[in-house]
Amino acid sequence: MRNMHLVLHGLAIKKHGSAEAVAGIVGLEASEVAQALAAAVSQGRAVEAGGAYMLTPAARVSLGGEYSKVYAAQRADQAFVAAYERFELVNRQLKEIMTAWQTVEVGGQSVANDHADKAYDDAVIGRLGELHERAEAVFGPLSAGVPRLAIYQAKLLAALEHAEDGETEWLSGAKIESYHTVWFELHEDLLRILGRERTE
Amino acid sequence: MARSLGRWTLYLDDTAVPERSLIGGKAWSIARMRGMGLPVPPAFVITTDACRAYLAQGDLPAGLRDEIGAGIAVLERESGRRFGQGPHPLLVAVRSGAAASMPGMMDTVLNLGIDAAAKAALAAESGDVAFARDTHRRFYDMYARIVLKATLADLDKDAGPEAWRTALAAAGAGAIPATATGQLEGAVRAVFESWNGRRAKRYRQHHGIPDEAGTAVTIQAMVFGNLGRDSGSGVVFSRNPLTGAPAPYGEYLAMAQGEDVVSGKHTPDGLEALNNAMPALHDALLGAAQRLEQADRDIQDIEFTIQKGELYLLQARAAKRAPAAAVRIAVDMVREGTIVPEEALRRVNAEQIRGLLAPRLANGAAARARLVAHGESACHGVGVGQVVLDADAAETAAANGRDVVLIRPTTSPEDVHGKVAARAVVTARGGATSHAAVVSRALGRPCVVGCGDEVLQGLDGRQVTVEGGAGLVFDGTLPVTVPDERDDPLLRQLEAWARAAAPLAVYRDSERPAAAALDLDGLPGGESPENLPQLLAGAKGAAGGALARDAGVAAAVACGLAFIVVPQALPALLAACAARRKGRGVDAA
Repeated sequence: MRNMHLVLHGLAIKKHGSAEAVAGIVGLEASEVAQALAAAVSQGRAVEAGGAYMLTPAARVSLGGEYSKVYAAQRADQAFVAAYERFELVNRQLKEIMTAWQTVEVGGQSVANDHADKAYDDAVIGRLGELHERAEAVFGPLSAGVPRLAIYQAKLLAALEHAEDGETEWLSGAKIESYHTVWFELHEDLLRILGRERTE
Repeated sequence: MARSLGRWTLYLDDTAVPERSLIGGKAWSIARMRGMGLPVPPAFVITTDACRAYLAQGDLPAGLRDEIGAGIAVLERESGRRFGQGPHPLLVAVRSGAAASMPGMMDTVLNLGIDAAAKAALAAESGDVAFARDTHRRFYDMYARIVLKATLADLDKDAGPEAWRTALAAAGAGAIPATATGQLEGAVRAVFESWNGRRAKRYRQHHGIPDEAGTAVTIQAMVFGNLGRDSGSGVVFSRNPLTGAPAPYGEYLAMAQGEDVVSGKHTPDGLEALNNAMPALHDALLGAAQRLEQADRDIQDIEFTIQKGELYLLQARAAKRAPAAAVRIAVDMVREGTIVPEEALRRVNAEQIRGLLAPRLANGAAARARLVAHGESACHGVGVGQVVLDADAAETAAANGRDVVLIRPTTSPEDVHGKVAARAVVTARGGATSHAAVVSRALGRPCVVGCGDEVLQGLDGRQVTVEGGAGLVFDGTLPVTVPDERDDPLLRQLEAWARAAAPLAVYRDSERPAAAALDLDGLPGGESPENLPQLLAGAKGAAGGALARDAGVAAAVACGLAFIVVPQALPALLAACAARRKGRGVDAA
């Protein structure tokens, strides 16, 4: 199947994902993804439980071996690699902003943010919006190298706008496609594309 | 009226405070402090009129350039310094400021006015070459990031402006104007342009703020806390922000700039150090803190700098406070007659009380236990379980009703389901801002990060207790206690006020009423607040399930329930009071 690599790649990122969830991040039709996943299950490359899929350990290893071939052009593309390196810089700031959302300094000590200070929370959301605007300069060259990466940019903007409208679980909520969830998935996608190691 | 410098600008002196809509929130608060006779570095403001004119014609309105020059001349006169020149260079801070604060507006640019000559002068004046160079570099970095919106790696602190310009060009951003005057104009334009950015526009639409309101630009002289022994910087709170005790609390660092106090590189002294060195300024500072607290009727957090024996207040705002302090200050202020009980209930939220009442290790338990790993605290709380090293194993074990602690080298999106299933999360590598830390906090899972790779060996299958707040992992199952809200007189006082104001009755599990309550724990979907309108229809009272969350309590209020039953009363009472205020439109969303 033509898009099997892409579907399994999407499943590696959306672990325990449904066909729709995987389709949503790799930019394929849900019906095509469902077909590919069914084929993967019959070939022993994935397992299914209650509509959610998972790669088998063997499929995880063989998927890892395919990236260098599939993304050889991007790995050799200086503009793409440079954009990725700028992404890593922004990534550091993103994690600082998420931490500022969740914890605050009180008299020199770090405590959980109880969200009692609306001005503080608004300022953090403001910093995230500012980061998003700077990150747009990085998303451009990334999607020029791998067009499907533009999906993440759209999802990030959607999450940001939810947060700006007061639905603050869209900043770092772990069970929804919050800004942090999508960013984290984009980061994982880039690490796989370029064959880099996660450092923390 | 503050003194007019022409058509577009006002100098902020100690006369009457102009309209917020004309000068914006930042300048308004400077003008207010000056009006109270408090010492604030001199500042002038470009009004929202100028912003409207700029946006209408796409360029600075005629005369504004001259007025900015006149404003700078006043700051030079007031500060005894010269803009972009030695021997005492004037540097300024440029801030955006609409009437109401708004996302997407340009951030503050500091140290504007520094160039090679000003840097040399500042080095001579402060006797600190590294400081002058660092100020120059930080200005470049801020201007690039904020005005030019460039994404840069940290600029090499040992390189000079040429190298920084090259780095900036490589990042594809525009160039920094060559002169201080040009840089100031660039920053003013960037503030005006930010009014029409995506975020600001969306926010205005959402909040019904007219597009014509416009933003002001505040330009304020910077002061230096490192110009000699009679200089320094610090922060003072009008009460203790950790405990709420009604005594001033603060930090002071002699011969230092404000960022040195918060950087963690130096250990600041207490306020006694300032009292010993300059008692008159110490007393003036505490007096100012008192006056600001009385004016705002809330605890103040004030940044200050002392420049050659002159005290300046840089910023005053309502202080962030620890949950225990929030409770004590709210109750104390009612007793002092400063606020009413209704306001006290508004200042303490359910989440803060839940934090105070969260389970913790029993007294002395940690002292007797064996420590098996330690790292950086990433999320508070105590979690007990058997160690697993794989997210899938964590999920399987949890599905079988076992409590597990997930230990991973680092975490990736692949591990999120394991964290959901685990009682606590531990990683070998990474810090308090790592993905693992962010996700654990979002899930409320106790989390310790950066324990070292040895944590991956020898613990698999062992029973451990994770103390997330301290960053410690102990051998075995340690005893855990849950604080009782009835043991604390301050919580009892808040509870009494909340009961009087709450729109429904709240009972503790241990004091369950005779009337029948719908048990949400026993109903499918009872744990989700969005299901409550349906589940609660026709009920008089309810217990458990989604009532553990604010949204669940709000749903119970909306459904008109007479009572609810929960483990601890105060969080639910505060959530019910908040829901009632929101329903009456007293609080904004």
